[in-house]
Amino acid sequence: MAHKVKIDTTKEITVTIDGKVCKSSYGKTILEIARANGIYVPTMCYLTKVKPIASCRMCVVEVEGVNGMVLSCQEKATDGAVVTTQSQELHKQRQSIMKLYNVNHPLECGVCDKSGECDLQNKTLEFGVNQQSFSTKEPHRPVQDWGFVSYDAGLCIMCEKCVRVANEITGNEALQLSVGGYNSTIINVKNDKFDASLGESASVCPVGALVNTHFKYTSNAWELKKIPASCTHCASGCELTYEVKDDTIYRVSNHAEFTSLCPAGRYGFEFRSSSAKVPLDLARAVEAFSKASTIQFSSIITNEEALILQKLKEKMGYKLVSKEAKAYGDFLTSYSSVSGKSLYNGDLKSIASSDALIVLGSRINTDNPMVKYHMTMASKHNRARVVYMHPLEDDALNNIVTQYIKYEAGSEEGVVALLASAFAQKSLDLPFEIKSILDNLDVGNLSAESNVGEEEIEILVKSFAKKKRFSLIIGADVYAHKRASNIAKIVALFEKYLDFSVILVPPTTNALGVSQICELDDKCDGFTIGYNTLGDFTLGSMGEVDLITPSLSQQEGTITTLNKRVVPTNVALDFEGYTLHDVARALGLGIKIDYTVGYTSKLPTSKGFKSESFDDLPNYFDVQGNEHRGYLLDILEVATDGKLEDVCPIDTFDGAVIYNANPIMQFSPHTALCLKLIESRALIGSSQFALASKLSDGDKISYNIDGIEFSRVFRIDTSIKGTFAFNPLYDMGLSSALLSSYRFSRLEFKKEGRD
Amino acid sequence: MSLEQFKDRNVGVQNYRQLDLPQSPTTAMCKVKQVAKRSLKGELFVGLGVTVREMVSTLFGKGLHTTQYPFEKLPISPRYRAIHEMLRLLESGNYRCIGCGLCEKICISNCISMETRYDENQRKEVSAYTINFGRCIFCGYCAEVCPELAIVHGGRYETASEQRASFSLFEDMLTPIDQLSLQQEYQGFGAVSPNADDNIKKTPLAY
Repeated sequence: MAHKVKIDTTKEITVTIDGKVCKSSYGKTILEIARANGIYVPTMCYLTKVKPIASCRMCVVEVEGVNGMVLSCQEKATDGAVVTTQSQELHKQRQSIMKLYNVNHPLECGVCDKSGECDLQNKTLEFGVNQQSFSTKEPHRPVQDWGFVSYDAGLCIMCEKCVRVANEITGNEALQLSVGGYNSTIINVKNDKFDASLGESASVCPVGALVNTHFKYTSNAWELKKIPASCTHCASGCELTYEVKDDTIYRVSNHAEFTSLCPAGRYGFEFRSSSAKVPLDLARAVEAFSKASTIQFSSIITNEEALILQKLKEKMGYKLVSKEAKAYGDFLTSYSSVSGKSLYNGDLKSIASSDALIVLGSRINTDNPMVKYHMTMASKHNRARVVYMHPLEDDALNNIVTQYIKYEAGSEEGVVALLASAFAQKSLDLPFEIKSILDNLDVGNLSAESNVGEEEIEILVKSFAKKKRFSLIIGADVYAHKRASNIAKIVALFEKYLDFSVILVPPTTNALGVSQICELDDKCDGFTIGYNTLGDFTLGSMGEVDLITPSLSQQEGTITTLNKRVVPTNVALDFEGYTLHDVARALGLGIKIDYTVGYTSKLPTSKGFKSESFDDLPNYFDVQGNEHRGYLLDILEVATDGKLEDVCPIDTFDGAVIYNANPIMQFSPHTALCLKLIESRALIGSSQFALASKLSDGDKISYNIDGIEFSRVFRIDTSIKGTFAFNPLYDMGLSSALLSSYRFSRLEFKKEGRD
Repeated sequence: MSLEQFKDRNVGVQNYRQLDLPQSPTTAMCKVKQVAKRSLKGELFVGLGVTVREMVSTLFGKGLHTTQYPFEKLPISPRYRAIHEMLRLLESGNYRCIGCGLCEKICISNCISMETRYDENQRKEVSAYTINFGRCIFCGYCAEVCPELAIVHGGRYETASEQRASFSLFEDMLTPIDQLSLQQEYQGFGAVSPNADDNIKKTPLAY
């Protein structure tokens, strides 16, 4: 049970472990202190990223003055404690645990996927268990196929890690324990074959009980070459390792002890491009570049490529257009003009450690699953209040959201202003002008137009009263909003005056990096080169393009993540053709630079980048789980010259409204190439939407957004509330990056028949 | 360390017998005498006589004293390491290989490559298996490491063929299903030791 006693974590304590004097802070467990000081304590069920499970009892230690043995994973160290981690008695204790783990464990290491990286194998050898001393009748336990993972109860050692990950990290709560002595198993209560977040549970399995179905029996762990990289699907830029054999990625793994991956990161690795070096192609590209006046590009590129484009702009005078990055960059600039800092102050860690969260303007579960995982951690570890503000309710968040506030699509500015004014009443250090703007808000009108009740905001503020660490998560809906600039300024008040950690979730993988590195223009002009998006001459890693460039799994470089961290990624698969750098060299740029990563040290320090070369960037996690990947961007002081404007009346969105949002596991044309990910290419709407727009399930319709022609089948999903439909963008190939207007829009369509 | 122990070839202890040979001629005169003696004595016909006797006995009597290679071959030691064979289980006829990949791992000339997959019967199935005999040094590690005695060395020592692929595929090395009864158990390195039965420890059966 949770202790109500207040823990002063700043208090310094000294603990002696195996004769070594260890300094630490109060509140750490014995195991944490031991590991931080390089002292080995064997464990089977301990997983750093979840709360101590205490099911294996391998981590027992002796503490002077305490009778019996103590579980070091959950026992907090007290000042002056003297701990012994290795003794005859302890060894015997641990050895008998291993003997029990090995009862009837199938001797199929020869075919087991886990062989070679199995905790049970390692510990069995470590404790010298070479024969079975106990036995019991083995029940019949067939292998269960759970879709993305399969579960073999015969191999399971019931450490519970998978259950904890499903509950505390991914939050899908699909796994449970079925307790029954030797017959205990893990059960999948949801039994959803399309639930790919179970891959997270499989990644922490210490034995071969829970394994990825697609990988099962295809390769031994030791045959795979491990290539440390970063996930390039969304802005979280999670750490991952591509495991490669014969120029094929067999699976994706991660430092599961400390980090997690979303389903797209874990199963979306089949995107790649292939090409040969044909000098004629390069010559054609050079010719196109020499007559072009604009380069339009997707922001799913590395920082180095962005820098090459910026240098090309400086040399050749191109216009650089990347709509999503531009919108995000402008939002950030407005934000900085009030906050006084070049970047927002929050990150994923601050989300996980906060106890009061507001999410606004994002369907966060599909936009950025990593943010959702960290929200789940906050909810489960700190009992955080989670307030989800969006026009559309999300069933996937039901188990963590404590208050859902629905607002009308388009009314984000009013909603943010209402929130700010409600919180500002407590704050004393607001400047007079800002206070007067917030005090003079027409609260009644705003709440009527946005459909957010004053009492809802009141409940929200009241529920935050006793909380200490606040986070505000802002999503991609607002960046392309007409009033984005003013929204940004109001949001910045939360960071500057209201003690919130604010996270502006970048809409695409490297929108943050691109917006910092490139000076972006608004509109295309003249002959346009498309880089990973459509243009008069197109360079890209997929589809019908004029010059094939490597995809992000075939490039080395850095990306700037949501955590404001510049992280390195490496080449997993071969690519024979030309890169953007080759084209730039042919144009006379960077003649002395051999590889694209030569640009890493030239990233603009005026924007907080460091002049470190790519090969010097660290990429590891230390024993305590601290991230040492690349470096954090420096947050710079900027002038606070932004002036809040009055809140404008709202454009109403009556009738059938469509929302540009990708389904779970899909982010971009890159994920669309991955066959293991679930696809959903239909326009999925509520039954009210169907009524309002006179559509029925299975109708084929065509419509136009931002000049891109869509042709989709309409499907009804009764779980959606309101008159909304979801329009996926990920499957539009290179034109996806052109779609960058406000995510809600009214649907005008033509019927084309039935599916 | 002295080299004494390496220089001692230790021939003395074996059962060698010195031939009863006469003294070799030393002077030129003695050599001339020996040549004249041998030429005139008719020793050549003694040898020819042996040949004629053998020919007669081959044609009309006991048969040949030589092996008619390549039509017949002498039995080869079970420990000889020639082209690999893939064995089957005697009862079911399934192949013994479980796809554990140990042979691939231990191979010091990196000549074994295999691919495995999850098959319909929820078992690990070997979907592709090749040995590059251009690289194989016939060291025998693969046979020794194999936990199932599935890959062993056979007696096919003639490694000449029009194509290298003729014997490097799994199916070519596998015992033909109709010759299962003729399958020989391997006796070389990695084979079950003669006292294997004595080393088995039984699992306690408490229930």
